[in-house]
Amino acid sequence: MPGPARIAQGLLTDPRRPVSFRFDGRQLSGLAGDTLASALLASGRLLAGRSFKYHRPRGIVTAGPEEPCALVDLLTAAGREPNRLATTLPLSEGLRAESQNRWPSLRCDVLALNGALSAFLPAGFYYKTFMRPGWAWERLFEPLIRRAAGLGRLEAIVGRHAEPAEIVHDHADVLVVGAGSAGLAAALHLAGLGLRVLLSEQDSVLGGGTLLDPRWHAWRAHALGVLQRLPQLRALTRTCILGAYGQGVFGALERLEADESARFGGQRERLRVIRARRVLFACGATERLIAFANNDRPGVMLAGAALAYLRRYGVAVGERCAFFVNNDEAYEALFALRAAGVRVVGVVDRRAVSLAADRAAAAGVPVFRDSVVETVRGRARVRAVGFAQVSGGPRRHLVADALLVSGGHTPNAALATQLGAPLHWEAAIAGFVPALSPGLGALAGAARGEGGLAACAADGVRAARLLALELQAGAPPTADAQPFPPDERQTPLLALWDASKGPRGKAFVDLQNDVTVSDVHLAHREGYEHLEHMKRYTTHGMATDQGRIGGLLGAGVLAAARGVHISAVGQLKPRPYAQAVPFAALAGPEVREHYKPKRRLPLHAWHERAGATFVSTGLWLRPLVYGDAAGWEPVLAEARHVRRAVGITDVSTLGKLEVRGPDAARFLDFIYANTFSTLAVGRARYGIMLREDGMMMDDGTTSRLAADQFLVTTTTANASAVLEHMEFQLQANCPGLDVVLSDVTDQWAQFAVAGPRAREVVAAAVSGIELSNAGFPFMAAAAMELAGIPGRIFRISFSGELAYELAVPARQAETAWCALLAAGQPCQLRPYGLDALNTLRIEKGHITGAELNGNTTPADLGFARMLKAHGDFVGRHLAARPGLQAEERLQLVGVRCLSDARLRNGMHLLEGTAVGPGLGYITSSTPATADGRWLGLALLSGGRGRIGETLRASSPVHAESVPVRIVSPHMLDPENTRVRA
Amino acid sequence: MSAPSPDAGVRQGRWPAQVLEIAALRGAGSALAQCAHRLGEALPGPGEVRASAPRVSLCVRPQRWLLLQPAEGPEAAARAHAWQEGCGGLAAAIDMSSALSVLLLSGRPAREMLARGCRLDLHPQVFRPGMAASTLLAQVPVTLAALPGGLLLLSPSSTAQHLGEWLEATARPFGEPGTLDIEALFSGETATRYP
Amino acid sequence: MLRIPCPFCGVRDEIEFRYRGDASVARPAAQADASEFFRYVYERANPLGWHAEWWLHVGGCRQLLRLERHTLTHEIRAVAVAAAAEPAR
Repeated sequence: MPGPARIAQGLLTDPRRPVSFRFDGRQLSGLAGDTLASALLASGRLLAGRSFKYHRPRGIVTAGPEEPCALVDLLTAAGREPNRLATTLPLSEGLRAESQNRWPSLRCDVLALNGALSAFLPAGFYYKTFMRPGWAWERLFEPLIRRAAGLGRLEAIVGRHAEPAEIVHDHADVLVVGAGSAGLAAALHLAGLGLRVLLSEQDSVLGGGTLLDPRWHAWRAHALGVLQRLPQLRALTRTCILGAYGQGVFGALERLEADESARFGGQRERLRVIRARRVLFACGATERLIAFANNDRPGVMLAGAALAYLRRYGVAVGERCAFFVNNDEAYEALFALRAAGVRVVGVVDRRAVSLAADRAAAAGVPVFRDSVVETVRGRARVRAVGFAQVSGGPRRHLVADALLVSGGHTPNAALATQLGAPLHWEAAIAGFVPALSPGLGALAGAARGEGGLAACAADGVRAARLLALELQAGAPPTADAQPFPPDERQTPLLALWDASKGPRGKAFVDLQNDVTVSDVHLAHREGYEHLEHMKRYTTHGMATDQGRIGGLLGAGVLAAARGVHISAVGQLKPRPYAQAVPFAALAGPEVREHYKPKRRLPLHAWHERAGATFVSTGLWLRPLVYGDAAGWEPVLAEARHVRRAVGITDVSTLGKLEVRGPDAARFLDFIYANTFSTLAVGRARYGIMLREDGMMMDDGTTSRLAADQFLVTTTTANASAVLEHMEFQLQANCPGLDVVLSDVTDQWAQFAVAGPRAREVVAAAVSGIELSNAGFPFMAAAAMELAGIPGRIFRISFSGELAYELAVPARQAETAWCALLAAGQPCQLRPYGLDALNTLRIEKGHITGAELNGNTTPADLGFARMLKAHGDFVGRHLAARPGLQAEERLQLVGVRCLSDARLRNGMHLLEGTAVGPGLGYITSSTPATADGRWLGLALLSGGRGRIGETLRASSPVHAESVPVRIVSPHMLDPENTRVRA
Repeated sequence: MSAPSPDAGVRQGRWPAQVLEIAALRGAGSALAQCAHRLGEALPGPGEVRASAPRVSLCVRPQRWLLLQPAEGPEAAARAHAWQEGCGGLAAAIDMSSALSVLLLSGRPAREMLARGCRLDLHPQVFRPGMAASTLLAQVPVTLAALPGGLLLLSPSSTAQHLGEWLEATARPFGEPGTLDIEALFSGETATRYP
Repeated sequence: MLRIPCPFCGVRDEIEFRYRGDASVARPAAQADASEFFRYVYERANPLGWHAEWWLHVGGCRQLLRLERHTLTHEIRAVAVAAAAEPAR
């Protein structure tokens, strides 16, 4: 059996399968089934790290997720993962781990000097000491403190990200948290009634306390057998409930076993989001420490942990064990260790009377009643234990290499308190117990203050019956119940938090954050009397272990200092997450290229083949320019071709909504600031839409396809917001209107053919329509056929040129597009991308998202005269507010650069040599198609009155300042002769 | 213990169906159902899907139905026209054949796989054959319908490629992938594994 | 995270819904003056306790729901489809 301390057959370890691993570079060996902690203990190694603040040597204190000290760095191919708990880290072949917070080595740590200087490092030390000079904090103190303190080391693994993790959504009637005797009994009962049960257990095996008591092994085996046969019961091991979020929602982290991890692409953890109608907290209780001088020395360990190492892994935590207890339960470890052949040198029991102590004494163990441990001797390992009677008397010593402590058990209340459960003091266990309101769920077992496996199991069944009643589950299950082995009679515990005597040696209440009894006293002296204030002043309970084994000690010490009972002080309330969670697991699968979904145009493949460079706008991927040449030249070439001849561009991303029904026109009159009820069938109209506060929301053209059928187009960016706005207005404010809204954005592919020769191209491609200026004038809309595909045609223009937009069902997009290209060949029809489209619209003075920024009114953008005079519409009343009519508001203008320099979006507009925020800013800019000189659109204070002025456009971050002339935003063809050609 | 059979994985397919949306106008009431009956169309109840080869109809919004049929059937436009003619005053009929892509999914682990991106409870006893629902999957809107032989997914066509890639990648750990056509959904096995 | 019981779709996660504001204020009639609209758009009670809210089920049936939620406990005690909801007071 690998390791000198492996004295028995463990329940979980396989003696035929040795596993080799390295700790701090040393080759060691354990067994399959070990944790890193049990394998280290089996090898006789106890030292696991150095403490956070004083760099005191620390050992392994617990055998589970409550461990405050044995945190290690795990070294894997993916990098260094800090702060893994040795007590839960499964041992695997070739595992490499390193201790934390020591330099240069664990045995010889330079910064242990902090321990000697500790008189100068009390709680609040940082706040008081590093105040002056001000610069020194950032440059000197903080870097030094960061090196000295902290837990573990995070290596930069940029560029070598972990595999994206899954987030799995789970549903259940009842979530049972914890699979000890209470949780197992409850889960089996609930599932037996036909309820869907999710049983979560953070341990790698089910059973909890039943694993540690051989009398319960038959019951456990039977329960697991039944569980296998219940499909409605799903048990998740290695799964920690991270937080309770209300309304039946829980977050959980599942650590994957090696083969599962390999199957799922190497991810090591998966986050689960669990939705349950009820929760049953059977999450047990955590054994607590007692404060006494040097209670952090390696070898001081919880009694229950010693029992766990023996039962689960066959490991003795020491050769000469002493005990310090205040309760009978802790004696189980004593009897088990003795039975396994370990020498127990004595028990220090706070109580005068105890049935368990009587049994120990009868078995020949020296029992020291009414006594407390005052101090521990030894530095890297316990050598002797000093104790004395409570009533006084000389200190005596026990020579021991392990001191097994038990201060009682604290119910695990964190999750219940997150659901708002109040805590009440339970004197019988000297602990706080939460009370969950009915309708949320229930508590059972040790989490509710029960003691003894049989009592807990019975309590689990009681809670399950309660929940089944609430959920109106079917008949009780057929009696298949395995009897519970009876609990032993026990003498009650005697509350004990602090056995330290004065300032001799540090007595810790928080091992992970190095908080001592005297720190709590200091906090109290300085006025931090409330538990939550003391917590923040001392950092007690703020480490990753959330004060699981010492949290109540701090409260007890504070209560004594205040001279009140602990029930008046209360208990710290840990927030989610219950354990450290890797960011990769929280981020889930939606990272990097999967961060958001991609919307693709119906013609995406064609654009790709045509060599388009794509750009992400919102969720859409759109062709920015054809070809991959950088700079403005290819863009201007595309735009100039539109101005000179004809171009085609894909505008399928425009939001398209069908508005149908007898009241469609009335509804649009309410939604838009201008009128649509007067629009003739077969005509389109530009419309502006306001928010109720009078600001511009969106713009676009709307066509009337029939008396009761309109097609609304929105800007690409606002498509979903406009749909939601219209749905809200229809349902909240127009309940009487008979209107149907349908989002047909993805139904129609839409292409704009623009340029002086657009009519030639379209006429050659479409049929069923007469395209003369008289027959199909500007702002006309009609049905047409393109390459045999029925579609729609609109004479609308965003470029300032003669233009048509053609819509066909998206599935036939490529056929239609190619037919247009073929028909346009004689006219040299060429595609153009989003950049050229933008250049063209800026020159024409059309607005987009940069100008529809939520702060602009119709008047600001020059649409004041579009607002209808009669009738209600969204935004009408507040758009008329006098403040929004002020002349000095930012108004839309055009700007032309007076030099060869470039303009930039966001450049401030300033007068003369003025500095400061300026009079306005540039919203959109582009080189002009005509001469390549930059022009743009801007929002300028009193802008319309400044047309003709020369201002300075300035970008301080680029150190650029260029002269610009303020012009009308309609910089091209203000008379609209081209679009009406 | 026997090795997993080669068809243990998720099977996927596409159905290039014609999709017609029927949106009832106010007060259409039972007249619409009668009108639909005359056209030989079924209008299922809320949250229901009805599959009768080769047609599928479902309802995931109040007073709205999606009618699906194979692409080689009568043109969707013609079907829409028939609705417009027959029930014009009662409902709007809108062609959505290009707007929605239809994906098919079956195989024992299909629902377990969907739990990676879908927040609905897809337990086979909860989301039973004949049920339909609208929700989000892999961040995009999706309509799910449980047919006897598997699941039918409708997704906006602009995100169909995204969804297809997500399904393919997510299905990978669940065994050998397979293919599927609509015929298999109208009848056939319903064996489902759900955790 | 809220879980909202949609009358049409069943209980769904908050992510499927879009919050559309305070449902305890009603849009004033067309002839109301600007000050009434000012109150409608800007003035909010911020109660501790029950609060009427609009939620649009964009990831489901796309109906507008009027629900009463407790701002402290997040409990939802009433949900109704907007069209069928009582007129707001």
